[in-house]
Amino acid sequence: MGGDESYSKFTQQELPACKPILTPKWVVSVFFLVGIIFVPVGVVSLLAARDVVEIVDRYDDACVPANMTDNKLAYIQNPNISKDCTRTLTITEDMKQPIFVYYQLDNFYQNHRRYVKSRNDGQLRDAAKANQTSACEPEKTTADGKPIVPCGLIAWSLFNDTYSFTRGNENLTVDKKDISWKSDREHKFGKNVYPSNFQNGLLKGGGTLDPAIPLSEQEDLIVWMRTAALPTFRKLYGRIYVDLKKNDTITVRLSNNYNTYNFGGKKKLVLSTATWLGGKNDFLGFAYVIVGGLCFFLAFAFTLLYFIKPRKLGDHNYLSWNRHPAGR
Amino acid sequence: MDVPAKLPDPVPSPILRHSPSSGSAMSRSLRSVVDMPSVTFAADMRSDSTRGAESTASSFESFRRAGSRPVPGVARLPTRRSASERAGSQRDLRDEDARFVYINDAARTNAPPARFPDNSVRTTKYSVLTFIPRNLYEQFHRVAYVYFLILAALNQVPQLGVFSPVASVLPLAFVLGVTAVKDAYEDWRRHRSDKNENNRTASVMVDGVFRPKPWSDIHVGELVRVVANETLPCDMVLVSTSDPTGVAYSNLKTRYAKQETLTTPPEQLAGAAVIRCERPNRNIYGFTANLELEGGESRRIPLGPSNIVLRGCELKNTAWAVGVVVYAGRETKAMLNNAGAPSKRSRLETQMNRETLFLSAILVALCSVVAALSGVWLRNHEHDLELAQFFHKKDYVSDDGNGNYNYYGIAAQIVFAFLMAVIVFQIMIPISLYISMELVRLGQAYFMIRDTNLYDASSDTRFQCRSLNINEDLGQVRCVFSDKTGTLTQNKMEFRCASIEGVDYSDIARQQPVGEGDRIWVPKKMPVSVDREIVELLRNGGETEQGRHAREFFLALATCNTIVPLILDGPDPKRKIIDYQGESPDEQALVSAAAAYGFVLVERTSGHIVIDVLGEKQRFDVLGLHEFDSDRKRMSVIIGCPDKTVKLFVKGADNSMFGVIDKTMNPDVVRATEKHLHAYSSLGLRTLVIGMRELSQEEFQEWQMAYEKASTALLGRGGLLRGVAANIERNLRLLGASGIEDKLQDGVPEAIEKLRQAGIKVWVLTGDKQETAISIGFSCKLLTREMTQIVINSNSRDSCRKSLDDAISMVNKLRSLSTDSQARVPLALVIDGNSLVYIFDTDHEDKLFEVAIACDVVLCCRVAPLQKAGIVDLIKKRTSDMTLAIGDGANDVSMIQMADVGIGISGQEGRQAVMASDFAMGQFRFLVPLLLVHGHWNYQRMGYMILYNFYRNATFVFVLFWYVLHTGFTLTTAITEWSSVLYSVIYTAVPTIVVAILDKDLGRRTLLKYPQLYGAGQREESYNLRLFIFFMIDSIWQSLAVFFIPYLAYRKSTIDSASLGDLWTLAVVILVNIHLAMDVIRWNWITHAAIWGSIVATLICVMVIDSIPILPGFWAIYKVMGTGLFWALLLAVIVVGMVPHFVAKAIREHFLPNDIQIAREMEKSQDSHDVTHPEVQMNTMARA
Repeated sequence: MGGDESYSKFTQQELPACKPILTPKWVVSVFFLVGIIFVPVGVVSLLAARDVVEIVDRYDDACVPANMTDNKLAYIQNPNISKDCTRTLTITEDMKQPIFVYYQLDNFYQNHRRYVKSRNDGQLRDAAKANQTSACEPEKTTADGKPIVPCGLIAWSLFNDTYSFTRGNENLTVDKKDISWKSDREHKFGKNVYPSNFQNGLLKGGGTLDPAIPLSEQEDLIVWMRTAALPTFRKLYGRIYVDLKKNDTITVRLSNNYNTYNFGGKKKLVLSTATWLGGKNDFLGFAYVIVGGLCFFLAFAFTLLYFIKPRKLGDHNYLSWNRHPAGR
Repeated sequence: MDVPAKLPDPVPSPILRHSPSSGSAMSRSLRSVVDMPSVTFAADMRSDSTRGAESTASSFESFRRAGSRPVPGVARLPTRRSASERAGSQRDLRDEDARFVYINDAARTNAPPARFPDNSVRTTKYSVLTFIPRNLYEQFHRVAYVYFLILAALNQVPQLGVFSPVASVLPLAFVLGVTAVKDAYEDWRRHRSDKNENNRTASVMVDGVFRPKPWSDIHVGELVRVVANETLPCDMVLVSTSDPTGVAYSNLKTRYAKQETLTTPPEQLAGAAVIRCERPNRNIYGFTANLELEGGESRRIPLGPSNIVLRGCELKNTAWAVGVVVYAGRETKAMLNNAGAPSKRSRLETQMNRETLFLSAILVALCSVVAALSGVWLRNHEHDLELAQFFHKKDYVSDDGNGNYNYYGIAAQIVFAFLMAVIVFQIMIPISLYISMELVRLGQAYFMIRDTNLYDASSDTRFQCRSLNINEDLGQVRCVFSDKTGTLTQNKMEFRCASIEGVDYSDIARQQPVGEGDRIWVPKKMPVSVDREIVELLRNGGETEQGRHAREFFLALATCNTIVPLILDGPDPKRKIIDYQGESPDEQALVSAAAAYGFVLVERTSGHIVIDVLGEKQRFDVLGLHEFDSDRKRMSVIIGCPDKTVKLFVKGADNSMFGVIDKTMNPDVVRATEKHLHAYSSLGLRTLVIGMRELSQEEFQEWQMAYEKASTALLGRGGLLRGVAANIERNLRLLGASGIEDKLQDGVPEAIEKLRQAGIKVWVLTGDKQETAISIGFSCKLLTREMTQIVINSNSRDSCRKSLDDAISMVNKLRSLSTDSQARVPLALVIDGNSLVYIFDTDHEDKLFEVAIACDVVLCCRVAPLQKAGIVDLIKKRTSDMTLAIGDGANDVSMIQMADVGIGISGQEGRQAVMASDFAMGQFRFLVPLLLVHGHWNYQRMGYMILYNFYRNATFVFVLFWYVLHTGFTLTTAITEWSSVLYSVIYTAVPTIVVAILDKDLGRRTLLKYPQLYGAGQREESYNLRLFIFFMIDSIWQSLAVFFIPYLAYRKSTIDSASLGDLWTLAVVILVNIHLAMDVIRWNWITHAAIWGSIVATLICVMVIDSIPILPGFWAIYKVMGTGLFWALLLAVIVVGMVPHFVAKAIREHFLPNDIQIAREMEKSQDSHDVTHPEVQMNTMARA
């Protein structure tokens, strides 16, 4: 019987239902509530972002010898010119460890269609699939037809600048362990897949790989192959587990190998602390505060409007045919 | 002597049209086919009286003229049948057109080249083998699907390969698959019902004995024996029946076996007889054939529709009948008429195509922007690309001509970018919208069919959705065209009054109850009361002039008809109850009235009738019968009376009868009768005039010769018979006139009032006289006393033009008088068929239109069927008003097909109207819940769903677009290709369908209480260009929020594209679902499940996709969900995205409320009131 009744309620479209109506009370409370949540969250994230200390140093131009600034391409392409370069950084605020070392590339389209497609994830994972190089064009095989492992543009263009840091005489060790995702190391890059025929072509795209180390341990490659979403991006280079003090002077020895000169890309070195919100980015905090503030404003505006132009809910007189009796 | 029957085809050709469209499962099951042919030849007899006054001679002219001139609406309908086929039985049989059926000799009948199909039926569209190709072929009739197919094909070109091959075809395959499953299920149901049908058994003569045989094995030429209450397996000519006179009843229509075959044992007919009949056709009223006996004397016996019984009917009140199969299987009339539902397109869908074009324009614009910018980018970076690691222009390994890898110059790259952009942004055109609309309409139909308020208990009929394409049109109707008889009225006739020899017997004061005392014969449907004076006159009038007239008058009523009395066994053995069987309710009423006055029709065979005349049984020979035809508009019988005199009784429409009255007759009587007729029709009664003539011996013999010659003629039989009839029906003595009441259906005045309040104009189109029409108009509250009537009934072109001009000036005058809308005088236009003919002939349609739209009510009387369609077309052509036509009879078919929405009343008049309709129901008053409740809901739901589908797909496309601007214009998507293709078919499809089926903006009670709310649909408030633009602006804003908030937060960070893509996916899915949630009005558990379930399903899908290690985005969602920033951004996106919509909604609902909003609030306060005061609710319920 009960089943019949609920069936008939269903067929007659009379299922019990809740019919919320956007009453003034609701409107004002919703805006008020959003404001209450957003402003504090915004303030907290602003403060968090303020706490982050970030030092950015662009070095691609600075590392070009003075005599070659007119022909950077020749400098970077000439293997006989030493690419070593030294930079000095001054710490602006106290930095608590861990300190993240990133490299930042500008105008590097890691999300370019030609680029993102040029990889073969099967090959990375499974040693038996070394010959599986589909989609890896144009870095698929060597000139004599041997499959490249890892194949594809992404791997080929592996970033290969290196950095080492000293504070005074103290060597600041950069820990390069665990810079990649654990899931990538365990499931995506095979433990028994070794690089072969890599970077043997006419045109060198970037770094080389030690053929003796399996891909799952080539963390720089793993990080590099998590392609960035946007053309300006950072990638984790390593971590320094030392607290840095304000006005400390850090000497960075870097080898400026990676060619960004041909397309106007920029290279930057970034030292940064982190919070729960990530790096130094005020945007989220500002966004929250502004949205929260706007909601407070709307709450007040609506309260005011409802007072100025009140309307009795469900009043017959507002029906169009009651307002203009013979209007139809 | 048998009744010769050569009938004009009463059905205008549109009914015979062949519609190749597919029907819905609901209307196509074989069951509905089987009960279809409940209309038989006798329907024509009915028209003698019920439709006798339908049209004047001149309007019939126009009918014919209209028939030859292509009437737009009719010509528009797909007609595949050849002209000869359409003419049906109207033609005479030529050898090459005939089919020869050798009785009980199936082998010879089916010998080559004949080979008639067997009796198996197949209503399925597909077989297992043909399903896939045929179904796909049908689905690709949809242009949008071809577009998606082309894009899927483009995607397979290596240079354009945006998606993986599987992903690119997935959405199309999905929607095609869902549709195919739906179609397969419908077809499977048809298959099952076919199988049941084909496996039924019938007893068929094999080697001289009747043996059971499955229906599918029955062949043309075989003899089939059917017993009482059995269903007839095919169309058969009756050979013999249990009744000694050869009568059989199928679905209460009378059929006869020929005397010649009746006497011969069936098995001996083999080789002795052949039936020459017309080829199979759809005309279920018509059948032309000859029985040719080959025995010693070669004879030709004419066969007509009264000799054939049709597949699907049941044998009633007859112990058994034997027939010879003439049409079997798919050639039976029932199957030929099973053409399926009409295919119309709803207005919303037409408008939707306009917006689809806008979307296409936006799509082209987006693609052009991307293509152009990609060209600029390539030009700016022309010299960088060779060495840029992310481009790697040169191919150093394999040498292909220019040494470039996948680079063909800027121009080619621009073209590629454009095409790839089309592929990436393809879902701007919502692929799932079409299947969603189909599913939604299916759901809406489900609820309409099951609505108890649309169920007619008296005839046990449910609402039927025959067309599944125009549900939402029901919410936008502005103009209702209604038939009168059987639609507004019950088509249950009751004899009310008579005028005999110029004396009126209609005084209510003299009415007395029917004396039942010593009656032997009691008609089943007895009039309640009789006129005391007439009873007195009949009983004691003796030989007075007036008494003789009265007797002849009632004798005419008892004889001049085709009613078959059926004696039932009553509880009292001394009393016999008679059930009068016949097609025409008017005739039933007349015969019952005659019985009440003591002239009881007791028995009818094909040769004679027995009438109990005031207690004395008398036998009358029926010497001849002239059927009704719309030329003569009368019928007549020639009766051999017991006193050896031969009398001709005629009854017919007044205008046709007064023309054949004896000119020497007393003019006073004629004038008095005319006056009475006018009075009766003013009361809303249907009138008929009765006349008679005594035939001299010579006259009779002359007639008999002509009649026999005509009725066995092979060529022009119909015309010859008409001529014979016209020749004898002259110089009649006027006996009198009758007035029959056709009661209004329940709730008609209230329904009309509601429709009018809803802003729907009601036009009544009837074949009745002007006075009858006006009086019915008053009784159903169509006309009111305050209305100013404009009457146009002219009998010449000039006077017609003049009255039209007068009407226009009157309309203008009234309009100028009442500038203030308060004091507007309501206007009613009454126009008759004659004037309409002139107007349509002389191109004054514009003037008529001008008058008609100024009037609140339009009543058209004496209109012919095709004129009805012409009137509907007049409005359809000149306004954008949605038209709805409602009717019950074959004469409404053209109008039903012409109107935007056609509704058939499944009443007494057979199923022609239903077969042609889009929706069918039992009562006129159901129009109110159908339009005001379901129509309103359907329109509101469908309108919102289409807009929402546009919006949600556009939002997604815009998000993709913003990202493309940051990828060097190379059409990369951060959102995985799988999410891209699943977005519109899985992530967001279910909630919109559920909401479009279940959401109600207002409850049934409110909608019925305030019919004015229907105006929302008429004013297109739920779907219009303005709303579309609002939705698009909202969509752009939301896409900006979705894209740029995460973009700005993740700028210069380590974010990878998979993680960001997952965030965008979830953000956009949640946003569009919250948008939907904000617009849902009634939340029940199904809505909750659909909306929140959809978000959860999306999350699960994204997680599953990110759990596949060989996809680049492996594990991204798990990683990114672990960061606080992700959740903070998601919340920010949703709030920022929704704020404008929320603000707009709050302002609109509170400061600019529409009627629906106010009514919702009233409903809400009513609900809370009901909760606190339950007893009040009980009271209102009881009142309702």
